[in-house]
Amino acid sequence: MSNKAGEKEKVSRRDFLGLVAFGAAIIGSISALAGSFRFVKANVYSEESKQFKIGSIENFPLGSTKKFDDKNVFIFSDEAGLFAISAICTHLGCIVTPSEFGFQCPCHGSKYTHDGNVIGGPAPRPLEWFEIKQEVDGTLTVDAAKTVQQGTKYLFA
Amino acid sequence: MNSKYYLSLLLISSLVLIAFIGIAFNRELNPEWKRYQTEYKEFLVKNATDDSTRERAEKIDIGMKQVYIKSLKRSDRCVSCHRGVENPLMADAEQPFRQHSGNYLENHPVASFGCTACHSGQGRAMNTREAHGEEHTHWDFPIIPSQYIQGACAQCHDYEMLRKEGGEKVAQGEKLFSEKGCRGCHKVDGKGGDLGKDIAGMGSRPFAYFSMKHVVGDHNLYNWIMQHFENPRKVVPDSDMRAFLTSEEAELLTNYMLTFRNEEMPRNYTLIKNIILPKTDGESLYRMYCVACHTDGKESIYDEIFERTIPAIMNPAFLKSIEDDYLRKIIKEGRKGTQMTAWKTNAAGLTDEEVDEITKYITRNRPAERPQHFRYKRFGTDAGKGEELYKLRCALCHGDKGKGGKRLLGMNLVFKDTDPEFLAITVRDGREGTPMVAFGKKGVGLKDQEISDVVAYLTKLSRNK
Amino acid sequence: MNNTSKSGLVKYRDNLMSIKSSFLGSFLRSGKPTSDKSRTAVVVNNFFLHLHGAKTHVNSLKPTYTLGLGLISFFLMVIAFISGGFLMVYYSPATETAYNAVKDINFVVFGGKLMRNAHKWSGEAMIIFVLFHMARIVYTNSYKRGREFNWVIGVVLLILTFVVNLTGYMLPWDQLSYWALVIVANIAAAPKELTDIFGVTQYFDIGGATKEILLGGTEPGQDSLTRVYLLHIILLPLVMCIALGVHFWRIRKDGGLSKPDNVTADGTGIVNISSPEKEGGIFPTHKTYGLMELAKGRTPAVDNDVENTVTSWPHLFVAEIAVFILTLAGVIAYSYFVDAPLKEFANATIPENPAKAPWYFLGLQELVSYSAFMGGQGLPGLAVAGLLLIPYLDREEEHFGVWFSNRQGKLIAVESLIVGATAVIGSLAFVINFGWFRNWWPNIHQLWIIAINPGNLLLGFVVAYSLFVIKRTGSTRMGAISLFTMFLICYVILTYTGTVLRGPNWDFYWSASQWPIH
Repeated sequence: MSNKAGEKEKVSRRDFLGLVAFGAAIIGSISALAGSFRFVKANVYSEESKQFKIGSIENFPLGSTKKFDDKNVFIFSDEAGLFAISAICTHLGCIVTPSEFGFQCPCHGSKYTHDGNVIGGPAPRPLEWFEIKQEVDGTLTVDAAKTVQQGTKYLFA
Repeated sequence: MNSKYYLSLLLISSLVLIAFIGIAFNRELNPEWKRYQTEYKEFLVKNATDDSTRERAEKIDIGMKQVYIKSLKRSDRCVSCHRGVENPLMADAEQPFRQHSGNYLENHPVASFGCTACHSGQGRAMNTREAHGEEHTHWDFPIIPSQYIQGACAQCHDYEMLRKEGGEKVAQGEKLFSEKGCRGCHKVDGKGGDLGKDIAGMGSRPFAYFSMKHVVGDHNLYNWIMQHFENPRKVVPDSDMRAFLTSEEAELLTNYMLTFRNEEMPRNYTLIKNIILPKTDGESLYRMYCVACHTDGKESIYDEIFERTIPAIMNPAFLKSIEDDYLRKIIKEGRKGTQMTAWKTNAAGLTDEEVDEITKYITRNRPAERPQHFRYKRFGTDAGKGEELYKLRCALCHGDKGKGGKRLLGMNLVFKDTDPEFLAITVRDGREGTPMVAFGKKGVGLKDQEISDVVAYLTKLSRNK
Repeated sequence: MNNTSKSGLVKYRDNLMSIKSSFLGSFLRSGKPTSDKSRTAVVVNNFFLHLHGAKTHVNSLKPTYTLGLGLISFFLMVIAFISGGFLMVYYSPATETAYNAVKDINFVVFGGKLMRNAHKWSGEAMIIFVLFHMARIVYTNSYKRGREFNWVIGVVLLILTFVVNLTGYMLPWDQLSYWALVIVANIAAAPKELTDIFGVTQYFDIGGATKEILLGGTEPGQDSLTRVYLLHIILLPLVMCIALGVHFWRIRKDGGLSKPDNVTADGTGIVNISSPEKEGGIFPTHKTYGLMELAKGRTPAVDNDVENTVTSWPHLFVAEIAVFILTLAGVIAYSYFVDAPLKEFANATIPENPAKAPWYFLGLQELVSYSAFMGGQGLPGLAVAGLLLIPYLDREEEHFGVWFSNRQGKLIAVESLIVGATAVIGSLAFVINFGWFRNWWPNIHQLWIIAINPGNLLLGFVVAYSLFVIKRTGSTRMGAISLFTMFLICYVILTYTGTVLRGPNWDFYWSASQWPIH
């Protein structure tokens, strides 16, 4: 378009139309794309609840160990109380098995103490401890979605 | 220009390709099962007694055979080799041609039941090794050995019927399980002790569930269960299981264990002819839950595995001195720190009525004469003096702080709801028939006040628990 | 045509009788390839063939030059696609039925076991041959003269090859599939290690988000299988085909396969035929072997070593078909003898012990056993970045298209092989015998382990050594040879370690016969 030297260039109507049209097209495409990405993230997960009942305190005699296989949680009972430790290795998610020093993971060899502290292998964090609640009727519920501090043991009547 | 090279390469590669496709074709067209079916057909043709039989034999078509049962979710191809399974002419033949033994197929025709619903094995496989689920085939449920097969019957039939009509072994196994006190440690249907694993799903355990390290012979679930019954600690080195079984009993119980499956049969397959009411009398309940540890209750037993003395609960002196309410309480609440489980409803699952019945049974031979009251409440007590006395007189057998166990002769004395009167009477009069001597006038000679002090100390320990 | 000389019906009859030749003529427009001109016309006029040049340089046909590795990789992919398509006739992507469907393919489908084996082995062989092909490109110094971007496409294809194999591994829904999915999903979540350390996970949980999108949840299940299936049969093959299309197109536009600058008609010795010099033409530095080229100026640009080319039909196509049949024969032969593994049905409560990734990821699993983030994302990312940079960091013009460039190149390759092997074996020996930070100081902060672990140190050493080679020889080309050789030998030795030397609990054993019985 015409311009004298030194003067600011004016945007012609055609240029402006072009800019706006392409701009709108780009915005439209990006929003469609964004929508498609949002599409991929599921809104509901078809999974069982992370809270589950485990019985009452008498089902866990002193010194006992119980594993709830389908929930991947160990329940221990000692003098200080009842406690729940996750059986899921913090490295890459395999299920640990009890061993003489605590727990052992078969996948990459992570080793944990009886408290879930890492003493070998690539696990970055100790095993998670979960909250145990007592319901009104005295039964106990483990909440595997609620992590509590390591060493939290519960005394129930 | 390498053309000759490439043409030669093409020729050789093509010949190799043709060769391998050829032998692959051959392998597809001459599988193991085809040989069996051909042999079967030839046998029938050869041994046909008349023309029409021969004609029918000649019309037998050879091909992959499958029994597809939608409601059982099974596609069983066993009949691809076991073609003669429903043919009476094959009654004396060798496997895989032999007719099915007995008359089971009359009521369980192959077309409605398939094979694996009873026999397990890998029904989808088309070769012997994988169909039978032999070792290293990565199949969790190999064919059940015939000595344990009755475990499958209980998926549909009730034990009363099995006892009379062909399920004797598994019915006996069920009876043994109820009478040997297995539920003292193992839960079944939510009722039972917590010292051992819950039995639910025992018959459906995958191969990797148990450690097979010490299993002799084939490593599979069936041998694990059998050998665990025969010698628990050989198969599970840190097991506490008190099991003193003969090999026959072990086999019967293995049959029973295999009845506990994860999947239920559809309603139109189960055939419950008899409703069996659970036994509610005291003796049956005692045998179901108590007898494994307490046996006949006549003597106190030191158990090597528990490292603890199991009290004699039908000892006359014991029965004389204990009140029924107190006995019920001990049964319901268990004894923390020992293997005595809490049997109440929301713990091991017994109802109050069941606990009552057990109590009645235990006390059925209580001597008429009751001991003299101690009247513990009239004494002012000094737990400190009691502690000294305890350490002097009692700790030797009953251990530090009354906990018992640890290879000691005496049992644990600490119990949340302890009855001081009962304790005092026992200390004073002893328990005849067990190592507990009388510490009162008739025995060691402790005065009632001293006994009260000791009881006060024990009560204090119990409350602090 | 004088349409009064024949009646309508006669014309109709004549046309009917000559349908065969008129149809063939409409379909094969160039006629029989009997002359060089018609041979070249066939290539240019055919939809399927015209990706090829009408003429091919003799060097490209030399089996000892390319070893046919690119072709083999491509044909392996074709075989995998076709066998995969056949398997889709019977496969069912539902967690309750997938395992049984694969069992049925093995047991009752005609040729099912062979088809499944062929699919698996062609897919996995593709990884090996793609790596070899990449090695050929590096060692023949072929990533130059405009071929740099094609190298980038090649690296993209390498990654896609690994991922498509991995997603396929997850489809049978057996123990191998399930635990591979658990581990891969958790590796995808590995950035959480870093965001946790810096306390930003609650705002920006990229690790958790990636894992949940892959799994369709927080745990593997039906939604995961559906997504993995989508990736394996559509998304990844589609992207691979597009990338492959560009890859082949770039070969043509970059002037065909690489070759040394001095090649004779019989491929022997060094003769003074000068490099082609063109004046004008759209592609001043490259040649195309098309019949025609758009050119500026008045004379057509003719390449100077036309005596070293041959018509693609039949020479190139005979070579391609031969390599295809060779590949197919190899796949079928191997598939006849070796069965693709299938273990027990997936069980979420019982991991395998040892739980091993497919062999091509076992080297990575060894690295992951030191640190999830570095072994799973960091080091592979850095390795890929390193590969991508090779053609941009080494831009030396000499010895283009020559295996190992020169004698020095050969020596550097051997030296780097030994140095690299020593470095990786030394690191492994150290870690196996003495453990690492967590074994010595159980409470050490995870950041130390992410920053300093055997994988990082090995990578650092490899980079440092190649820089040292560059300094010593004064040549970036030597550095590239050194870096790539060390990368290759590390991959091989780490893979061997993960496959053979690691047993239950990822403990070290010299052989599987020493593994304790569970």
